[in-house]
Amino acid sequence: MRIETCWFCSSKIYPGHGIQFVRNDAKIFRFCRSKCHKNFKMKRNPRKDSTFEFERKRNRPERYDRSLAENTLKAIKTIDKVRAIRSESHIKNRMKGNKRREQARARKEVEQGIHLVKAPTAQTEDPSFTLPKIKIKTSQPQEENHAMEE
Amino acid sequence: MIQPQTHLNVADNSGARELMCIRIIGASNRQYAHIGDVIVAVIKEAIPNMPLERSEVIRAVIVCTRKVLKRDNGMIIRYDDHAVVIIDQEGNTKGTCIFDAIARELRQKFSKIVSLVPEVL
Repeated sequence: MRIETCWFCSSKIYPGHGIQFVRNDAKIFRFCRSKCHKNFKMKRNPRKDSTFEFERKRNRPERYDRSLAENTLKAIKTIDKVRAIRSESHIKNRMKGNKRREQARARKEVEQGIHLVKAPTAQTEDPSFTLPKIKIKTSQPQEENHAMEE
Repeated sequence: MIQPQTHLNVADNSGARELMCIRIIGASNRQYAHIGDVIVAVIKEAIPNMPLERSEVIRAVIVCTRKVLKRDNGMIIRYDDHAVVIIDQEGNTKGTCIFDAIARELRQKFSKIVSLVPEVL
């Protein structure tokens, strides 16, 4: 079942209520109750006629209020600041862990795709094709730190 | 509530403009006809140079009435005027297109009419 809206008062029409009127140009008007239907027959316009509430407040203009305008302007500035902060932190959170992920991916790619760079048997045949290993002495700096702490 | 002497508009392009009801098909002393009933009518006004002429007696199905059509689910439909669609003895329409939104009640007996209609209520 479909819940329609009344053409006259825009309220919901539940099944079993109201009348549907089909005009000669095949336009269908649905009414929620006989009040709306009768007013429609009298050719009343719900917007213009002030006996009905609907849409009467729509075109009332706001009166100028100085304090309201001031507060609004202040609020705009703070809202802009808050928005900037929030967007920055959001971006930061989203980008977290990117570097780690990228490095892991790169490592995997090198492992899997090393055959694109070097022939598979080349490494075992000629050891000079591998990257040279550089040894670094790390014992001295530790002794220095102990001395500094004391 | 259509009865003999009622003038009805024609909702299709068969050539007739206005009909007057003569008799209601159904029972021998049937008082009124509603949406979905077949009536015998005489053509009172017709478009010139069409197959149907004035003062021809034909059959028609009522599709719109100002009297409300009530459904079992509580829906009530009211049209703005009385209108018919002209048919022959078997139930085929004489015209080729229909100019109204028509109620679903006609679907059982007159499926051809419902297939020509722009909107079915």
